Amino acid sequence: MIKSNKCHLSAMSPAELVKHGEHEQEWGGYFVVKGHERLVRMLLMTRRNYPIAIKRSGWKARGSIFSDCGISMRCVREDQTATTNVLHFVTDGTAKLMFSYKKVLYYTPLVLILKCLCDYCDQFIYQKLIQGYQHDSYYLDCVQNMLRNLHIENLHTHEDCKVYLGKMFRVKFYECPDWLTDSEIADFILKKCIMIHLDKPEDKFNMLVFMCQKLFVFVQDKCKPEGADAVMMQELLLGGHLYLQLIKERLQGWLFGLKSNILKRSSTLTGHLSQTEILQAAKRSGGLENAFEMFLATGNITSSSGLGLMQDKGLTIVAENINRMRYMSHFKAVHRGAFFQEMRTTEVRQLLPDAWGFICPVHTPDGAPCGLLNHLTTNCSVTDVPDARKVENIPIILTRLGMVALKYVASVGFDQNYVVVLDGRVLGYVRRDLAPKLVEQLRLCKIKGEEVPNTLEIVLVPLMKVTAQFPGLYLFTGPARMMRPLLNLKTKEVEFVGTFEQVYMDICVSPDEYYKGVTTHMELSKLAFLSNLAQLIPMPDCNQSPRNMYQCQMGKQTMGTPCHNWRSQSETKLYRLQTPATPLFRPVHYDNINLDDFAMGTNAIVAVISYTGYDMEDAMIINKAADERGFAHGSIYKTEFVTLEHESSYFCRNPEKPELAEFLDTDGLPIIGRRMKDGDPLYCYYSVDESVYKVTKFSGKEECFVDMVKLCASFETTNRTACFTFRVPRNPNVGDKFASRAGQKGICSQKWPMEDLPFTETGLVPDIVFNPHGFPSRMTIAMMIEVMAGKSAALHGLVHDATPFKFTEEDTAIDYFGRLLEAGGYNYYGTETMYSGIDGREMTAQIFFGIVHYQRLRHMVSDKWQVRSTGPTDILTRQPLKGRKRGGGVRFGEMERDSLISHGASFLLQDRLFHCSDKTTAFICTSCGTLLGPVTVITRVAEKANQSTCKETCRLCGHGRDISEIQIPYIFKFFVTQMASCNINVKMLTQHV
Amino acid sequence: MSEPSTKDSGATKTPMVYICGECHNENEIRPRDPIRCRECGYRIMYKKRTKRLAVFDAR
Repeated sequence: MIKSNKCHLSAMSPAELVKHGEHEQEWGGYFVVKGHERLVRMLLMTRRNYPIAIKRSGWKARGSIFSDCGISMRCVREDQTATTNVLHFVTDGTAKLMFSYKKVLYYTPLVLILKCLCDYCDQFIYQKLIQGYQHDSYYLDCVQNMLRNLHIENLHTHEDCKVYLGKMFRVKFYECPDWLTDSEIADFILKKCIMIHLDKPEDKFNMLVFMCQKLFVFVQDKCKPEGADAVMMQELLLGGHLYLQLIKERLQGWLFGLKSNILKRSSTLTGHLSQTEILQAAKRSGGLENAFEMFLATGNITSSSGLGLMQDKGLTIVAENINRMRYMSHFKAVHRGAFFQEMRTTEVRQLLPDAWGFICPVHTPDGAPCGLLNHLTTNCSVTDVPDARKVENIPIILTRLGMVALKYVASVGFDQNYVVVLDGRVLGYVRRDLAPKLVEQLRLCKIKGEEVPNTLEIVLVPLMKVTAQFPGLYLFTGPARMMRPLLNLKTKEVEFVGTFEQVYMDICVSPDEYYKGVTTHMELSKLAFLSNLAQLIPMPDCNQSPRNMYQCQMGKQTMGTPCHNWRSQSETKLYRLQTPATPLFRPVHYDNINLDDFAMGTNAIVAVISYTGYDMEDAMIINKAADERGFAHGSIYKTEFVTLEHESSYFCRNPEKPELAEFLDTDGLPIIGRRMKDGDPLYCYYSVDESVYKVTKFSGKEECFVDMVKLCASFETTNRTACFTFRVPRNPNVGDKFASRAGQKGICSQKWPMEDLPFTETGLVPDIVFNPHGFPSRMTIAMMIEVMAGKSAALHGLVHDATPFKFTEEDTAIDYFGRLLEAGGYNYYGTETMYSGIDGREMTAQIFFGIVHYQRLRHMVSDKWQVRSTGPTDILTRQPLKGRKRGGGVRFGEMERDSLISHGASFLLQDRLFHCSDKTTAFICTSCGTLLGPVTVITRVAEKANQSTCKETCRLCGHGRDISEIQIPYIFKFFVTQMASCNINVKMLTQHV
Repeated sequence: MSEPSTKDSGATKTPMVYICGECHNENEIRPRDPIRCRECGYRIMYKKRTKRLAVFDAR
């Protein structure tokens, strides 16, 4: 991984990085696999080691009398091994515990597991289960019933239960050797599958007891379902953790392979197995590197346990570097999981209030991944593994602060207590009236961070008068949780707050929201809830909200400056804007992340006027002179690698073909700086296989220039490899896409001559003419403010701050910039008198005129244009192919057909759908009306080959009297044949016309 | 492995100058030489820009 401690870039200073051809700001964290930068995607997972109350209709199908209620817990060990246990409520009033082994789910009665875990008597188990619920008669009945059921099965003691469990599951746990007793197999199950985050059976027992209590409270609707889709119940799956899991599993597989290798070896060998034999067996068992390269290159995992994941594909992604915005957002993207992409319900996609501050509400794509692919906010951080010493302190401190440890608990009354759970381990109880004080004290310890980790999440779910979440004091120290810094108002220090914790805290955004005695925390910044990209939008608070989402989309498609080390790049495709400029109206965040180092977009003089008619429907006109001066000029760098097929072949120009000298140097490689056209010789090499010189021609629809040619030698292959980089000039053209930073995109419809464009009193001519109809429905006020702000910035030589929430209703941005404009001698409203470019007359309307930062998007006509008259057809249907690459056509679909029908344009319709599509001539027998009857009978007239006559006859009528030729779509013939295969005859009535 | 017909092997064997990607040293490499910088041993060689006239019709 780049910049891991095994990477030679890891300890380098920015200056050294630049010296080594890297970027100054290189942050690493990705892998380079086969020339692609790939990173392991962050996934949202269920919060570890917390029992969640869930209602899921799918659970009813898990058994005949299963209900939809259950308490699910994702148990994660310290080594990140994860399994899920679910305590199901069965409608006969019992509880069944689900555990999984090798992707198969098993259900066992709860009490059986409880009895297997600890050698407690029934009375003790009963007391434990009903602690605090003595008045719930339904629950008492259920517990008694469950305990009784086990005795009916003739399982009375701890040992009985273990033997039974082991006996039942022995066949499924075939990895356990034969010599294990049934009870040892039960131990194995308890260790590997049930509550695996806890080591001691007593802890597992207590946790299951707690889950059972929560389940029965939940089932009786005395607490609310928690739902796995809420961010408070989620944490992240980090790349490193997944990697660790994969290593663990691969090593396990490797050990099994080794075992079988050694066993095989020893069965053939007589005498002792020597050390060299074992070493050889180890060598033969293969390695891990290939598996990992595969994983990183494809993102697919093959795992027997499933690693507690819901998907096995798409776990790694390419960090595309179209521009800086795109690149950096890859590193903060979190996905909900591919599994949810196919779900029809929208529940998982919803933005819930508890996501505030952790997941950006603005930065999510629209379309298929909407709401599933999210981005972390700038302040959101992910916790690391805590200091184990500090975690051990927590129970001691809790006892000091008033918690009653579980072993002394018999002496306290339960109905007045909150349960205390630390990382999925029940520690004890705390009195309800003491709990807020305890939490406050613990928070102080946490902020200091000396005795307890400062990433500790302290969640006090209070008991409410209404039904709410199951009360208790839950503490989390584990890694992979999302946390964000907040200002603790008591200590005036920064405290990290987790997703679950935040829900029960009183946080104000600004001091004026502060309530004395209630508010405990304040946001560090008003923008803390936005992601990097959302913070780059100028004044997003003045836009209609979807426009901000669109800008987050389009910012990532802008042409700009993806890199500085152009000479050492060999990316397949790189977009570059020739003269990017820094925006005049930009948020502070732009400078904070040094985005000027990777500039994109240009400042354009914009006139908001409906001028020529070529600016309808989001089209925009570009000033031809501005274009010729270099406005928004750009290029694409395309790179291809060529490896010669034989290791002794080499690049060389054919000495017998002097005409090649115009294209190639003597080394057989193109002349750098040459303009390449389709069909020009690209390179020439001597093929050892065929002992001839061979020339390969350049293929590409567009004209381009040879920018760079590299000869590459590698350690893997001795074959000669050359790398060609071409520069494709892509200056603005009619049909190219542009967008302002307010989600206002438009297509260039004309390059209008400057002399015909309107001009102001000072003689200024706009670069871009923007249609005013773009404003009313879209309400992108930020863009209107930008017109004024940009203009005043240029006037006074300033850069204006576009950070949101700086202006208020009383002190508006429009007034601020209006007054600045006035001070510069311009109209307060940003309008100017303009004169028609055609006849020079003054226009009656005042024109809104100013400077806007425009982005050039990477969608260009040159990549998209498509034209076809005739061309390739599909073999099966004989209809035109689709797809630009294959020379296909654009679909003329049902809607288009409807349109032509309603116009009555029947000849056009016939032309499109028949003549230009799959027109064929076929024979039809008019007497029986079938297409399938007519066959051509060839009768030989003489003995010579060409002396024969053809005659059409109908197989069904037996004669050929009524056969005539008709023109039909080929697909109809195909259809008739298909129907015939289903034993259906299609009969047609025909008529002469 | 057969040699190409070497009528004017002088022309085919004329070395070209390549620039090392690491130390920017100019290396003369013949078609069949190993691709490797003589100074630092780096294995990516950049071809030099041509000194030939590359004028395009600007109309």
